[in-house]
Amino acid sequence: MPGPLLLFAFAALVTGIVVGVRMSRLWLALTVAGTTAGFGAALMVLLGAADWEWRSGFSLGDELVHLRLDGVSALFLALLCVVGGAGAVYAREYWPEKHYPASAPRGRVWWSALVLSMGLVLTVSNGLHFLIVWELFAICAFFLITLDRQRREVRAAGWLYLAASHAGTMALFAFFSLLAARTGSWDLPGPMRERADLSSLFWLVLAGFGVKAGVFPLHIWLPSAHANAPSHVSAIMSGVAIKMGIYGIVRFSGWLPVPAAAGWVVIGLGATSALLGIAFAFAQNDFKRLLAYCSVENIGIILVGLGAALLALTHGDAVWGRLALAGALLHVWSHGAFKALLFFGAGSVLHATGTREMSRLGGLWRTMPWTAGLFALGSLAVSGLPPLNGFVSEWLVYLGLFDAVTSKGPSAWAALPAAIMLAMAGAMAMASFAKASAMIFLGAPRTQAAAHAHECGMGMRAPMLMLAGVCVGIGLAPILFWPAIRRAAGSWCPGWGAEETPAPLVALGSVHVALAVLILAAAAWLWRKAHTNGLRRGMTWDCGYATPYARMQYVSASFAGIVSGWFRWILQPERKIRRPRGHFPEEALRLERVPETVLERIIGPVSAAIMRVSTTVRQLQHGRLQFYILYVVAGLIALGVLVLLGGAP
Amino acid sequence: MNLILAVILRLAVWLLLAPLLPGIINKVKAWVAGRRGPPVLQLYYDLAKLWRKGVVLSTLASPGFIAGPAVAWVALLGAAMLMPLGPGGTALSFRGDVLLLIYLLALARFCTAWAAMETGSAFEGMGAAREVSYAVLAEAAIVTAVLSLSVQTGSVSLVTMLSPSAGAGAVLLAAGLFTVLLAENCRVPFDDPNTHLELTMIHEVMVLDHSGPPLAAILHGASVKLLLFAVLLIQAVLPLGALSAPAAAGALVAGVLAVTVGVGLVESWLARLAFRRVPLLLTTAFLLCLFALLVAWKGGAK
Repeated sequence: MPGPLLLFAFAALVTGIVVGVRMSRLWLALTVAGTTAGFGAALMVLLGAADWEWRSGFSLGDELVHLRLDGVSALFLALLCVVGGAGAVYAREYWPEKHYPASAPRGRVWWSALVLSMGLVLTVSNGLHFLIVWELFAICAFFLITLDRQRREVRAAGWLYLAASHAGTMALFAFFSLLAARTGSWDLPGPMRERADLSSLFWLVLAGFGVKAGVFPLHIWLPSAHANAPSHVSAIMSGVAIKMGIYGIVRFSGWLPVPAAAGWVVIGLGATSALLGIAFAFAQNDFKRLLAYCSVENIGIILVGLGAALLALTHGDAVWGRLALAGALLHVWSHGAFKALLFFGAGSVLHATGTREMSRLGGLWRTMPWTAGLFALGSLAVSGLPPLNGFVSEWLVYLGLFDAVTSKGPSAWAALPAAIMLAMAGAMAMASFAKASAMIFLGAPRTQAAAHAHECGMGMRAPMLMLAGVCVGIGLAPILFWPAIRRAAGSWCPGWGAEETPAPLVALGSVHVALAVLILAAAAWLWRKAHTNGLRRGMTWDCGYATPYARMQYVSASFAGIVSGWFRWILQPERKIRRPRGHFPEEALRLERVPETVLERIIGPVSAAIMRVSTTVRQLQHGRLQFYILYVVAGLIALGVLVLLGGAP
Repeated sequence: MNLILAVILRLAVWLLLAPLLPGIINKVKAWVAGRRGPPVLQLYYDLAKLWRKGVVLSTLASPGFIAGPAVAWVALLGAAMLMPLGPGGTALSFRGDVLLLIYLLALARFCTAWAAMETGSAFEGMGAAREVSYAVLAEAAIVTAVLSLSVQTGSVSLVTMLSPSAGAGAVLLAAGLFTVLLAENCRVPFDDPNTHLELTMIHEVMVLDHSGPPLAAILHGASVKLLLFAVLLIQAVLPLGALSAPAAAGALVAGVLAVTVGVGLVESWLARLAFRRVPLLLTTAFLLCLFALLVAWKGGAK
């Protein structure tokens, strides 16, 4: 039954690509219909028992087309369809024809192409075809990121993304070719865990997909691409596209045997990504960059869960591994929902004020109450606070880690530091989003642009409300989502899809419902009480200062000052200070900026050195024939000497 | 029916007894300084008065300014309801409830920081920044303490974690948790609730602009949090599960009183630390909990 739905989704998206340039309404209808159909197919697989598989007679590149939708891919497909549909609705108002006559039609076409190619990445079951659709996906994303390509920094971000993406694809080329060479076929038949000789290929998987996922030292492309892309593109990039990297790691760690060290490395990478990602996020002044770095953190949380599951697999105790894997898989959905919501909120702010600098905003709740409320909800969810979805998935990961520690096996030495690092990352996520929402929405407007903002329309609000509903839904009724997670876990490792819930999700859900009701009741009660007692408006007290003004407020860098001091060794902030001088100082200045440390301090210098060496070597190639003949003769003599010295083979 | 009665009874204990603790601390401080000090029930009088008063709202504040304290109060009470009370057990217990408790405290912190930022005052921004930053280290210390209890008892739910003693590492754990208690409740040497210089405050500066019923909710929530940490500390350290019910109840009450008096004595004898030293002290608390964890690990392996 998923077959016809998928065929319909495919047809709708292809038609969307064709008609997208001219007919925006038809395009929207087709995209929404296609994603809904895809979502239906994913749900059928997740809630049913059987996988969907289709081996066709068509061949592409001498390989027969083989499609498959199992628990793992259906989980990611469901997320793709939700965000893909919501983003299409959002884009209509956010990136309209009126303001962007050239790029809006282009954006529609590439959007459909991106959703389609990601859907194909999730369904193709042939190594060669996987590489083709993977490349297609990378290119669609590139054109969407550079939609506003008149701006220089957008083009730079796009090229950086494309270069990083291809570096990853190179590892994937190596991986799929080696896999095909060792198994004798490009076809991916499914689990091959008994082939122990394939286990070393996992490192290529981790490197290749790790770049796309944005794991910490490989995340260099992510902040600038997410920040400079139009916000609906940032939402799908951050909510879904980087999850394709996670999908690859989950997929092939489930199908292929993994080396014994895999669990240790994945959990270590995850914990590092979580802690350093959020440290960078907290130090940002640009709210879209902050959200981008926060994605690095959340990818870290997912990898910690996956790493724990791999450890459990190699050590033979499956029970806590199941919890951690369930947490990781649920976090894929959770993060997809709240991060898309936050990027939509960020887009709404950007749309209204035209700036991404938090220190130029403030007080927007007055003009943008809907955006402020929804952004606050997303902030609570991303900080992992109860009673929302972020807490549920992080709680499952924590439970897995705690059980690993109490089992006192060798894995405990990985789980223990990971749990403590996750706790610190959680506290810093809370701090980052307290900062972001406060700087953008609270206090007094810091500039004219912020003072004259306007609320977004229904076309942008509706997708945000839908995603907020997902966040609240997973938070209040996690048990409803359990069957899907169980199904995916069962596809990852047969035997892990057991019927019973290993964690008291019902108890947690009911506590969350009680908490939500009490929170609303208490807020309403206190609000009423304050009004019946008499409510008077007055100036902020500010310790008796009589004429406070907007620039006296705490700004983003000062809010993050303490923590970015602790992480100075990696953040390497650039400071510009002009101290006040004399008895009547006229000016003073303090600017602080956190650079892209990994890119500017490590990758940049290394690439520059490679370029210098290459330029020097290039002087050998000057086009003078006689010298080329000299090279050949010299080469022959050298070979001859080598043969003479080494003897005949 | 019994369950509802138990919940109401438990709620009454937390709601009614919590404001006693700040009163006792102030009495101890006054006694050490040779003053008579305010009555032990002063906070009750203050709360009653604030509850009847009107509210002055900053012109910049949104409805979140009043919702924030309400949510924080509910979160703190929710955390308190998860905490077992010695022989009384708990109203609700499930695997992993301890993590919910930690994150409810974080929810309360988020809401307090949110409400502080509403006013656009630089002082309140300063307080909020300090609060959320020091929480990073405090949270690491709490999670480590919880991990050590889990290793000790092999469990992840509060009732079973807290009934035996913390074993050989109890002293280390007690020292670590007491330091966290001082930091989380903004007591000396981390913060001085009585200072009059806004530049040096953390928690008090965040609530500068609150008045009337919201301020009452904040003050009451703060006292619940103090009681929560005292109860946690005593149950983590003393083997209440091994005692008979009356003896355990007596030990719990005596222990909480001892912790409260201890806070009062620390406040009388120590001065507030310079801010740059606060992270050092919190790191020490984290290390104490970490050593307790290692001791629990070695102890349990026998």
